Amino acid sequence: MHRLRLSLFAFLLVVLGFELLPSAASMQQSRVDPAKGGVGDITGPYEVPDPKWPEWAHPYPKPGYIWGSQGGVFAESPNRIYLANRGELKLPERVPPNFPGNWGFFNQQAATQPIANMVNCIVVVDGNGKLIEAWNQWDKLFEWGRGPHQVYISPYDPERHVWVVDDMRHVVYKFTHDGKRLVQTLGVLDEFGDNDDLTRFRRPTMIDWLPDGTFFVADGYGNTRVVKFNKDGKPLLKWGTRGTGPGQFNTPHGIAVGGSPARVFVSDRGNRRIQVFDVNGNFLDEWPGIAPHSMMMSADEHVWAVDSISDRIVKFDLSGHAEYSFGQFGTRPGYTWAMHQISADQDGNLFIAEVFGGRTQKYRPRPGADPTQLVRGRSLMPMAGGTR
Amino acid sequence: MTIRSTSTCARAHAHARACALLVTLSLSLVSVVATAQQRPNFTGTWKYVSSTPPNYPGSNGWGVPSPTVVLTQTGNELTIESGQFGATPMKVVYKLDGTDTIWDGTSSSQSGSTAVVKWRTKASWDGNRLVLYTWNTALNQMRDIMSLSGGQLTIVRATEQPGPSTNATLTYTKGS
Repeated sequence: MHRLRLSLFAFLLVVLGFELLPSAASMQQSRVDPAKGGVGDITGPYEVPDPKWPEWAHPYPKPGYIWGSQGGVFAESPNRIYLANRGELKLPERVPPNFPGNWGFFNQQAATQPIANMVNCIVVVDGNGKLIEAWNQWDKLFEWGRGPHQVYISPYDPERHVWVVDDMRHVVYKFTHDGKRLVQTLGVLDEFGDNDDLTRFRRPTMIDWLPDGTFFVADGYGNTRVVKFNKDGKPLLKWGTRGTGPGQFNTPHGIAVGGSPARVFVSDRGNRRIQVFDVNGNFLDEWPGIAPHSMMMSADEHVWAVDSISDRIVKFDLSGHAEYSFGQFGTRPGYTWAMHQISADQDGNLFIAEVFGGRTQKYRPRPGADPTQLVRGRSLMPMAGGTR
Repeated sequence: MTIRSTSTCARAHAHARACALLVTLSLSLVSVVATAQQRPNFTGTWKYVSSTPPNYPGSNGWGVPSPTVVLTQTGNELTIESGQFGATPMKVVYKLDGTDTIWDGTSSSQSGSTAVVKWRTKASWDGNRLVLYTWNTALNQMRDIMSLSGGQLTIVRATEQPGPSTNATLTYTKGS
C-alpha cells in the first residue's frame, strides 16, 4: 500500500510537474530585476541595450553560419573593439524563429563542437558592432587549432600592438595595430614544451604587462607555470609546478598585473583560487573560493575576476577582499555562459566574451549606476602618430 | 723586404685558414655520419608492457597505449600501425626529414562523434631520440618521444585536447 501511494505520487509529479513547474527560460526571465544587487543581480550596474550587438554577427556573418565560441574581446576605444572569434559554426538546416544567433541557444558548448571554420577569427567592430576590419589574412594561423584564445593591447605600448594568444597551437602572436604585419611569434607553432622549456609553451592562456613592457604569460592548460618576458620577448624566468601548494598550479588560466609595488595575480583555475606573487615569482598570498577563467586589472587598481563556477564577475581589492559581484549563468540577453575575457572602454561600456555561450555582449552603464560598481578599463598610452 | 715578408705571412695565414676549414668540414662530416649511424631503427612489432603512471587513460581512445604497435622505419620514413590514434587501428606515416605529412581521415572528436578531418604528422631527431608530432583538426594532439634501450622501446607521451593534458612514459618489448 505504501509502495502504491509512492508510485501514485511519483506519477502525479511526473504528469503535473511539466505543466506546473516554470520552464528554465521563464525562470530566468522572471528573475530579471535590474535594479537590485546581491545574488540575484544579473547585470549589475549595466543594461544590455541591444541583444543583437554586434551588428556584424547578426543575423549571420554569412548565410548558414554563425559566429562561434568567443575567446576574447578588447575595447581599445568606444569605437574600436577587437573580437577574438574561434571560427564560425554551420547552423542546422532548420532553426527556430526565435533563434538569437549564438550557438549557446542550442544548449551545446560552442567552444569545441561542432568543428569550426576558421574564418573571421579576428575582427574589429565599432561601438554599434559594425565591421571595421576583418583580419582574414591571418585566419590560416588558426586552422589547426581552435582559434584565438584571447586578444589584448598593452596599456603601456604607444604603438598599440595587438597580442593574440592561441592556446591549441601553443603560441602568442604580436601584430601591428592595423593587423598588416605579424611582428613576433612567441613559442614554436604546434610544438609543445614542458614546464622547464623556455622556448615552447604548452597551451598558453593569458598575458599582462608591467609599465616598462615586461610581460607575464600564464602557461596554461598544459603547463603549470607563469613565464616572465622582457619587453622584447626574451624569457627572463618562470615559476610554478603542478600541485596544490603555494606557487603550484592546476590550470593557471588568467593573469593580471598591478599595484604598488607591482604584483602578479594568477587565476589558478583548477585549484579554485587566485594566487598573488611579486614580479619575481615569489609567493605572497592566495585567495581561495574562486576559479576565474579570466582576470582584468582595472584603472582604479582592482582585480575583476570572471568566475567559471558561478558565472559571476567579482571585484576584488588588491588585498583579496571581494567588494562586489554580479552575473548569472544563462543564454538570454545579459546572462552569460563561460565568460572568457572582459574589457571596458573609456565610456564605461563593458564587453564580455563567452566561450560556451558563443557570443560577445555589450553592456552599457545604467543611468545613475554606482561608479564603484563599474569596470573601468585601464587607459592606453596615446598612440604614436595619433589614433587610427 | 717588409712588403715581401707581409705577403708571405698573408699566404701562410690563408693556407692555415684553408686547412682549418678543411679539418672543420671533415670533422663535421664525420660527426654527421657518426650521428646517422648511431640513430636507432625502431622497426618491429612491439608489445605493450607498462605505463607510468599506471593505467594511463588518454581519452576517447586518443593516446591510449595500443597493446601492439607495428613500426616500420626506412631511410626517410617511419610508419606506425596501432590503435593509439583512436578506437580503430590506423597506419600513420612520419617523414624523418622534418617535413609535414597531411591527409584527410576520420577521427573521434571531444563529444565522441566521428568526423572526417585533416591529419598532420611531423618527425625530428633529437640525438638518438625520435620526436613525433601528430595533430588533427578535431583538436587531438600527441607528442611521442621514442628511444631504444636494452631491447625496450620507451615512448614518452604527451597529449593535448581541449580537455585535460596527459603525460606518461610507456614501455614496449619486442614481440611477434
